[in-house]
Amino acid sequence: MLEIKDLHKRFGDTVALDGVSLSAAPGEVVGFVGANGAGKTTTMRIAMGVLAADSGQIVYNGAPLGVEQRRRFGYMPSERGLYPKMKTGEQVAYFGELHGMTKAEAKRSAAELLEQLNLTDRMGDFVQDLSLGNQQRVQLAVSLVHDPEVLILDEPFSGLDPIAVDVMGNALRDRAAAGAPVIFSSHQLDLIERLCDSVSIIGNGRIIASGSVDELKAKEVKQLRISVDADEDLTAKFTGTVTRDGDDYLIEDGDDQEALRIAAAAGRVTRFAYDQPTIAEIFREAVTR
Amino acid sequence: MTQNEPSRLRGLLLVAGREIRVRGLSKSNVISLIVTVVIVGVLAALPTLIGGNSEDEKIGLAGDTAPAMQAQLEAMGGFDITMYDSADEAEKAVEDETVDAAVADGSLYSRDGVGNEVEAKIDAAWQAASVQTNLADAGLSDQQIADALTVQPLEWVTLESEGGVGSTLDYFTGLIISIIMFMMLMTPVQYIAMGVVEEKSSRIVEILLTSLKPWQLLGGKVIGLGVISLVNLVAMVAVGLGVSAATGMLDDLPAGTASAAVSTIGWWLIAFALFGTLAGGVGSLVSRQEESGSVLTPLIMSLTLSYLGAIFLLNAPTSTFAEVLSIVPPFSGIAMPTRMAITDVPAWQIGLSGVLLALAAAGALALGSQLYKRSVLYTGSRMKISEALRRAA
Repeated sequence: MLEIKDLHKRFGDTVALDGVSLSAAPGEVVGFVGANGAGKTTTMRIAMGVLAADSGQIVYNGAPLGVEQRRRFGYMPSERGLYPKMKTGEQVAYFGELHGMTKAEAKRSAAELLEQLNLTDRMGDFVQDLSLGNQQRVQLAVSLVHDPEVLILDEPFSGLDPIAVDVMGNALRDRAAAGAPVIFSSHQLDLIERLCDSVSIIGNGRIIASGSVDELKAKEVKQLRISVDADEDLTAKFTGTVTRDGDDYLIEDGDDQEALRIAAAAGRVTRFAYDQPTIAEIFREAVTR
Repeated sequence: MTQNEPSRLRGLLLVAGREIRVRGLSKSNVISLIVTVVIVGVLAALPTLIGGNSEDEKIGLAGDTAPAMQAQLEAMGGFDITMYDSADEAEKAVEDETVDAAVADGSLYSRDGVGNEVEAKIDAAWQAASVQTNLADAGLSDQQIADALTVQPLEWVTLESEGGVGSTLDYFTGLIISIIMFMMLMTPVQYIAMGVVEEKSSRIVEILLTSLKPWQLLGGKVIGLGVISLVNLVAMVAVGLGVSAATGMLDDLPAGTASAAVSTIGWWLIAFALFGTLAGGVGSLVSRQEESGSVLTPLIMSLTLSYLGAIFLLNAPTSTFAEVLSIVPPFSGIAMPTRMAITDVPAWQIGLSGVLLALAAAGALALGSQLYKRSVLYTGSRMKISEALRRAA
């Protein structure tokens, strides 16, 4: 269990974080969402120890996070960086060793990952000679090479091609399935919706909404949507506020069971469900509130 | 995965190892090393190539003094001696170019004179042989002659207590030491700063610092480039000495050359710790390679001044200026080994200089690593040193 507790951070007069708390249970994929400048990167950098918080702490499995444990984390910073004049395979293996792997383990793991990423024949090339997309894949390999216990990834999907997006998504799910807490930030909300178990939304240095994806959606439930194959107009028969969306009826503040009976009596009910907002809608709602 | 190993040392060594692999084995470094080694080899062989007198001088001898002359010349070495029965035969041999010169009956025959060195040697041999022959004619036994000819060499008493430059060879030893020290500090110092800026500008430092402490990253870089420089230095010395040995020049080098080389390495290590960590510290103040020149200027200036001071010192090794320069860090790093090569330096000055330089290196280590720690993750415009030190780490 990784817990980020009550982080505060100021840069000069700017308050970057104002009491940010966030947690990821073993096997949980947490999406970290927020507008640019909201505090995502600052939070993640503090969690990874590359930035010190003014106050607050990072707790891992019940104890304050130490350097040795952090070495077993996988991290992808928002600003990508690789040694331009180092060979691809050598570079990925080097990071494996820095994370505590033996030379042989690191070499093997690097070769496996690069094969998954279709980079096997580029292993002997300098990173600067790869295309930008391939450099992104190498970056991904660097963050996964040591088989990390926890993943903290800042915008891992930005700049990735569809194949790499799949590899990355699978890697996140695999790590989570193996029991690792995973936290990643993204502006691609469809990916968040697809991959995450829970979401934390940050705005102006504060967490403004968080919870499991289902919880958040339930909280924001809008109206009941009913489609009926019926000739007559049922608007007047339903109770509550009834509006039409094409042929569908949208009902707010009504009795759903009674509405179902009325609809079934009138004809074949092809759809009866509460409209759920997308994460994107929840996000927009949360930040504008 | 094994996690219990002493990771702090391992991290340091991993960083150093990467520097050695990537920078030391890079094409540019290997090529420059080969070129340097070839230049050193040629320089070492140059005296022999120019001198060209590896062939023995062919000398013909005849007359009463011939046996004594033969003994003298053979003792000196470098002569190929032929004995003739008469002065005429010897003269003929010179004419025929069978020999380069001939000594017979008190005359030196040659086609168009002999070289200064050969002349001096023959002259000395002639005088010694003449004295020997005269003494034998006077009825002395061989033992008596030998006793009479045994001379104690002059004892040198230098009244200027600390002496000036011992000899031309000492001067050149000093010059070479100052040049090598300068090069061996200048190059790695620039590479360290470039490496720090490279990691900073490519933002890779952010990933590195999740598994390494700043001191491991900076220390590993300094150690790695130090090792590369040492290897280059050792290669140069080995080739220089090897070529000298192969051409027979080695015996002519001053007796203290080996100890001078060893102590120079010691001075280099301390001076490198000083300049290397400072270079890393100031390198971290900037975010782009183009800006690294400006923050390195003070370091390069003081290195250049140390070098120029050492060159000046070669001509006045006993002056107050030389004494001050070889004691005050960071100039002492180059000045002291240079001064030690050309003149006797009182032990207390060497000790004081070493302690001061080591203290300065310790201070540089603290300052450099603090600067590095505080500014390496800061990106943007160039940071002032005072600003970096005010920042919380």
